[in-house]
Amino acid sequence: MARKNVVKVHFLPNDVTVELESGRTVFEAAHKARIYICSVCGGEGTCGKCKVVLKKGQIDSKPTSLLGHDEIEKNYILACQARVLGNVQIFIPEETRLERSKILVGEESPEMGLLAHTKTDSRHFLIEPLVRKVFLELESPTMDDNVADHERLYNAINKKTNTASDRMQTGYRILKQLPTVLREGDWKVTVTLAYRGSTTEVVEIQQGDTSRNNFGVAIDVGTTTVVAHLVDLATCRTLDSEATYNSQIEFGEDYIQRIIYGEQNNAFGEIHNTIINDINNLISTLVKRNFINLHDITAVVCAGNTAMMHFLLELEPTRIRREPYIPSANFIPPIRASEIGIKINPRGLLYTLPSVGAYVGADITAGATAIRLDQADALSLFIDIGTNGEVVLGNKEWMVCCSASAGPSFEGSGVHNGMRAAKGAIEKINITRDFHVEYKTIGNVPPRGICGSGLLDCIASLLRSGVINKSGNFNTGLRTDRLRKTEDGYEFVLVNRVGAGIDDDIIITQADITHLIRSKAAIYAAISTLLDAMNMSVDTIEHVYLAGGFGNYLDVRSAITIGMLPDMPTSRVKFVGNTCVAGAKLSLLSKEAFLTAQQIASKMTYFDLMGNTKFMEKFMSANFLPHTNLDEFPSVYEELAAHSSL
Amino acid sequence: MEVPNVAEKWMGCVRKVTIGATKEQGGTRGNIVTVGGAKSIPYMDFEGEQGCKPVIAMDVLDTVPEDWPDALKEPFKDVLNSPAKWAKKCVEQYGADMVCLKLDSIHPDKGNKSAEEAVATVKSILQAVSVPLIIWGCEHNETDNAVMPKVSQAAKGERCLLAGASQDNYKIIAAVCLADGHCLVTQAPVDINIGKQVNILVSDLGFPLDRIIMFQTTGALGYGMEYVYSIQERERIAALSGDNLLGMPVICNVGYESWRAKEAKASDAEAPQWGSCVERGPMWETITAATLLQSGVDIIRMYHPKAVAAVKKFTQDLA
Repeated sequence: MARKNVVKVHFLPNDVTVELESGRTVFEAAHKARIYICSVCGGEGTCGKCKVVLKKGQIDSKPTSLLGHDEIEKNYILACQARVLGNVQIFIPEETRLERSKILVGEESPEMGLLAHTKTDSRHFLIEPLVRKVFLELESPTMDDNVADHERLYNAINKKTNTASDRMQTGYRILKQLPTVLREGDWKVTVTLAYRGSTTEVVEIQQGDTSRNNFGVAIDVGTTTVVAHLVDLATCRTLDSEATYNSQIEFGEDYIQRIIYGEQNNAFGEIHNTIINDINNLISTLVKRNFINLHDITAVVCAGNTAMMHFLLELEPTRIRREPYIPSANFIPPIRASEIGIKINPRGLLYTLPSVGAYVGADITAGATAIRLDQADALSLFIDIGTNGEVVLGNKEWMVCCSASAGPSFEGSGVHNGMRAAKGAIEKINITRDFHVEYKTIGNVPPRGICGSGLLDCIASLLRSGVINKSGNFNTGLRTDRLRKTEDGYEFVLVNRVGAGIDDDIIITQADITHLIRSKAAIYAAISTLLDAMNMSVDTIEHVYLAGGFGNYLDVRSAITIGMLPDMPTSRVKFVGNTCVAGAKLSLLSKEAFLTAQQIASKMTYFDLMGNTKFMEKFMSANFLPHTNLDEFPSVYEELAAHSSL
Repeated sequence: MEVPNVAEKWMGCVRKVTIGATKEQGGTRGNIVTVGGAKSIPYMDFEGEQGCKPVIAMDVLDTVPEDWPDALKEPFKDVLNSPAKWAKKCVEQYGADMVCLKLDSIHPDKGNKSAEEAVATVKSILQAVSVPLIIWGCEHNETDNAVMPKVSQAAKGERCLLAGASQDNYKIIAAVCLADGHCLVTQAPVDINIGKQVNILVSDLGFPLDRIIMFQTTGALGYGMEYVYSIQERERIAALSGDNLLGMPVICNVGYESWRAKEAKASDAEAPQWGSCVERGPMWETITAATLLQSGVDIIRMYHPKAVAAVKKFTQDLA
């Protein structure tokens, strides 16, 4: 009789029903139904993102300050706090839905795609995919030419690819089927050759010429988003791409939380399976959409931060977050993808780009490879903005990097109407002197929220138009009803609910602005601490590459106006989009790029900002717009003076 | 062998700020005070000019300070209920260079007195003494924003020093000081960045930099004095290194902070082992003032006449 009651939860608009024990939360029910609901805190009841509407039935819920009066009247509840007592019907409003298929695929800029091409200058990598298919026409043996089958194959490979016999290896399974395949194929066969460090492995042997059917997948294993590109290894063309949210989000928003969750619940296996499942779903979507045989996918290259690489490979990650911050591995040898559950050709290989250390991961080595920092004569600065802002300074001679906790606000997290760069996100915004708001959304649909590039623009234009002062505080007493006071302080209405794609006004609050200023201050402080440590000035930097999942577009001038980037001519700054997947893809197509990433990882010096007092000082003085030391931002000073005199 | 000259060469200096206006200048003050002008760190006169000598402003409260210990009330016992007489005594008997009127009683929790009463107090002090006047709000933003404009208007032309502008509340006070020709205290919570940021915010409103005095919240001996010292020292070094927006004279609130310390205010019965409270309190105040002077301070707000005398002698002997 101890069995608990089983209740039904019916989700709308998905029209999916699940059964579970009474007393469980709506959030858990949604998880069971494989319906993804926005959540930042992972079910702690602190973020208020998982708002749903109770249509029918009864729930038990604690009172919360995260719901407004009008929301409570409309039967809004927090999914993670609502315990289901009987059969219920739940409606998931648009702002709470995580639409899996609509994430923007972080496209690299067109220039990046050209880097792996015919080797015309030093910025280009030589094309030589990590896994190649080579068509061979062998001489059939005679009394005069009585070389054994296996050695005959090696000789042919050597002739075609210039690979020495003692640098090759063949698996037992291949060896066993070799004589049959050779003869049934009339000595015309295709071998799949894979790079395995100092040796080349004969992964597969097929009859006839199948060399055209060779595909690989490059994956950015991000903390929040996983992006996969399908690449034709025979033609070097990117055929398609797909992205999904990282389902590990249910274990915590950032990787530290996920490590803690894994430790406390002995759940590293579960965390690992979750990402593998995401990757397999991505690959399967790509394969079906492009009519490709899964067997013809022979290689996968992954990049991501150090913790994500550990989760992916189910390596022990717990020491990453504890002094002295030791990863299990930075350089990971090629392994069979099937060993960790990735479903491609069962003998296909998984390559992982190397990390520098616990807090500078393969995403950064991938990025530095993609922008060819290893070939840069001029001093260059590479900035990758995610939950951690990583900064690399250097050129072909040397590289130093650091990582500053910038917080997830430029990814839309922790910002009232923040969202990731997806359809309906405001990516560009301008506020005029008379407080008219002009904006553009991704996909040109009514806005649902604001993504990173929109937030950058938003702070810059609030400052230019005099809505906020240099401290980031709202200038009260403006002649506009867009600025209004609520119980939680002031907020500025960017889009009225009439024009919005959600059933609410799109606003930016005082707290949002404070968060964003702290994020930008951390990035600027990291850049200037690194420059100081190297005894260099901003003027000496010739190229700045800004990467991150901001969307398709980023106004560099806005980034300078708010003091995230140092004051410099905007022509020196290039927005390069998702360099993590770009680096992974280059490696897939070019052994030289893969080796370059290894060299970059071993060359890069990690500069620790944790407990660095100079960094803290710089962070404090950067908590102002653009900066407490206006001398560091002369052009912004002029820009703002010109605006205020209008 | 020649001994090398190790003196620092400073590029910047602290601006001179004049407080008070004579009849010719549109006010009614008999004498005016100019502070600032330092071109080197304090008392390193071989490196550069020291600028104007630090001055002492004695605090006068607009209400009887019930919570003061007897040792502190004693010198003022005949005047505590009259701010004008109190001010007069500070100037004529105890040698205060300036008077700092603290408008405690306008605070909603400390009397909630009206703006009219505050104006009357200000006028009575302006009549009673001829030294420049500092008028310090109650540090309750809404109240200050309502009262200070009226007080400022009443003292128009006198070039008083009004306090203060903070990061969260600077517009009204800066606007009225600008309109009525007063000087302005910009304050920060022991934070050099915020200190500078408030200066930027008020100068964005068009407030002239040569009418600003900076205030970092003061901490007394044993209560964070070292922290305040190092922030004020950093401010002074930044000013001398050419940071235009930190090159303002500095005020600190030594009297109030020192007498909050239990070492200063405990009675003999409470702390017999600490020696006589008649000496102890003034000593605590003197040491706090004398120490902070070396970090670069131009106006010191003080309470006790004994401490005032000691610090005055100290500044004269060192100069």
